[in-house]
Amino acid sequence: MSALILISVLGVVVLYLGLLGNKRLLAPVGILGLIGALVLFYTGYHVEMPLFANMVRFDGFSIAFNSAMIVITVLLFVFGVDYYALMKEHVAEHYALMLFSLTGAFLLTAYTNLLVLFLGIEILSIPLYILAGGKKRSYRSGEASFKYFLLGSFATAFFLMGIALIYGVTASFDLGKVREYAELHAGQHSILFLLGSFFVAVGLSFKVAAAPFHFWGPDVYEGAPTLVTAFMATVVKTAAFAAFYRFVSMTGMPEALSRTLLVMTLVTLFIGNVVALRQSNFKRLMAYSSIAHTGFLLMALLSTSGLTAQMLFYYTFTYALATVGLFIVLTLAKRAANGNENIQIFRGLFRARPWLAIVTMLLLLSLAGIPLTAGFIAKYQVFLLAIQGGFLKTTAFAVVMALIGIYYYVLVIREAFTPAEEGIAIAVTPANWLVISLCGVAVVALGIWPAWLL
Amino acid sequence: MQFLFYLFAAISVISAVFVVSAKSPINSVIALIVCFLSIAGHYILLNAQFLAMVHIIVYTGAIMVLFLFVIMLLNLNKSAEPVKTLATRIAAVIAGGVFLLTLLAAVRHGLDITPARDFDGGVGLVRSVGLSLFNEFLLPFEVSSILFLSAMVGALMLAKKEPAASAGTSPAAPAEKRVA
Repeated sequence: MSALILISVLGVVVLYLGLLGNKRLLAPVGILGLIGALVLFYTGYHVEMPLFANMVRFDGFSIAFNSAMIVITVLLFVFGVDYYALMKEHVAEHYALMLFSLTGAFLLTAYTNLLVLFLGIEILSIPLYILAGGKKRSYRSGEASFKYFLLGSFATAFFLMGIALIYGVTASFDLGKVREYAELHAGQHSILFLLGSFFVAVGLSFKVAAAPFHFWGPDVYEGAPTLVTAFMATVVKTAAFAAFYRFVSMTGMPEALSRTLLVMTLVTLFIGNVVALRQSNFKRLMAYSSIAHTGFLLMALLSTSGLTAQMLFYYTFTYALATVGLFIVLTLAKRAANGNENIQIFRGLFRARPWLAIVTMLLLLSLAGIPLTAGFIAKYQVFLLAIQGGFLKTTAFAVVMALIGIYYYVLVIREAFTPAEEGIAIAVTPANWLVISLCGVAVVALGIWPAWLL
Repeated sequence: MQFLFYLFAAISVISAVFVVSAKSPINSVIALIVCFLSIAGHYILLNAQFLAMVHIIVYTGAIMVLFLFVIMLLNLNKSAEPVKTLATRIAAVIAGGVFLLTLLAAVRHGLDITPARDFDGGVGLVRSVGLSLFNEFLLPFEVSSILFLSAMVGALMLAKKEPAASAGTSPAAPAEKRVA
């Protein structure tokens, strides 16, 4: 709880620092505050009690996810120093909005009350609608912001309707009470309860970009500033999946809901992996890759066992590490190519910056799920879990989709290792180099010693 | 009371239909205001005075005025409805029909709606709303301040006039002074 307060106050402090007009102060202060929050979480690690009339509970699950999100945000802030170096206005607002968004993410991992779930989703989203339009002179950025805002509002409306329906049946927002009700009426749920949980699932699926609610994904990922895209693909997805897991495990997953989720998983896997084959813009490619990973994560949600939480944590964290690294590499390559985002800008990367190319390869291989990287362990665990849960055909389908998915990752790797006609000049600041290397090394280390996190 | 309920219900439904069917956006907005007022009437019938007042002040007052401003500023008062292609219309009809079928199938055996809690006449009074807001729902109440703060920051960030591209090289502070 104290970490939540610290982060929200930190956001305000960063806003005030923006008044001083000294941009260089912003990221260090933000990072210090985030590390402080991490420390606060760990000093309170074993204090697990419901707070504020059972609104939130910062249990082990929530603290693990929150720490992962803090680590990712710190990496993004380090990258931000360089990313925002050229930007004159509103840098403080960007950092502050990301911090506010993070407080929403904390609530999403810790909620025990549907009302807090709703507030968490909104606090997470509203700063993102704004951040997506952060490049005010770019039409694409404006388009991304507007699309995300409109579709997000629709999703929120469904979501709120779902919460209202559940409240109507159970007379409580409290997840414990909802669970009691669900267990009492197992097998013969009232239609209102089913519809309610379905609508809540729709709202959450929108946030994780699961098909058929994924249409905003590629456009928003492409239009938003790269740093914001990276934030969306990592922190937001992690938080939304943590919220999804808490909801699904708390309502005990009525059968009708699990059937819906199964269909959504299949469609998401198909779209994420097959449509991605036709993409040549790297950001859109990453968007489809993110949709594909949503499919695998949904599969983990389907088979609710005690291990699902651990699995989700490992999967989202390693996915986030790889994604952050790749988006930084993209930004560097994009600068060298005058703002071009086609995957061909990676051509000649190995000749120009061998280490960078190798790390890029590792990160992409991890996303593809090649053995010895963390991505492989993550996918392997999901498949194992799904088979244990009795989803044999789904798993077979997912394996085929994962194999198809490898193709487009390898396509990018091939570009990176093809020599370019003319050499490219990629400038890397030490901080960026450190973050990228850290992501690359971590992805391999976690792939070899997964027990560190699992 | 029963008569009032049916009166308000009829007004809400008719005005809501008019919101969608009206050609001119201005008429649409006026109909929406009528709809909101009748819904506020429902709240008062349920003894939820606080909700009724907030509903009138926020929705009918603030948001509708904003709507009107936007419509007038954008000069949308003539019916500038984009023409939809035949394919879109057919798709919309099919989608709507499928949705209707699904709903009908779902409620075929009747909707069993038994209130989980009996009606409590005092629940909507200002006193009980305030008490629950500051006792049970203190955390959501406080946390929503972050939501509004970020929305305000965002509105300022997106709406603030940027210095022209040529003046972009100078730091922000002198530009602000010039405006002052």
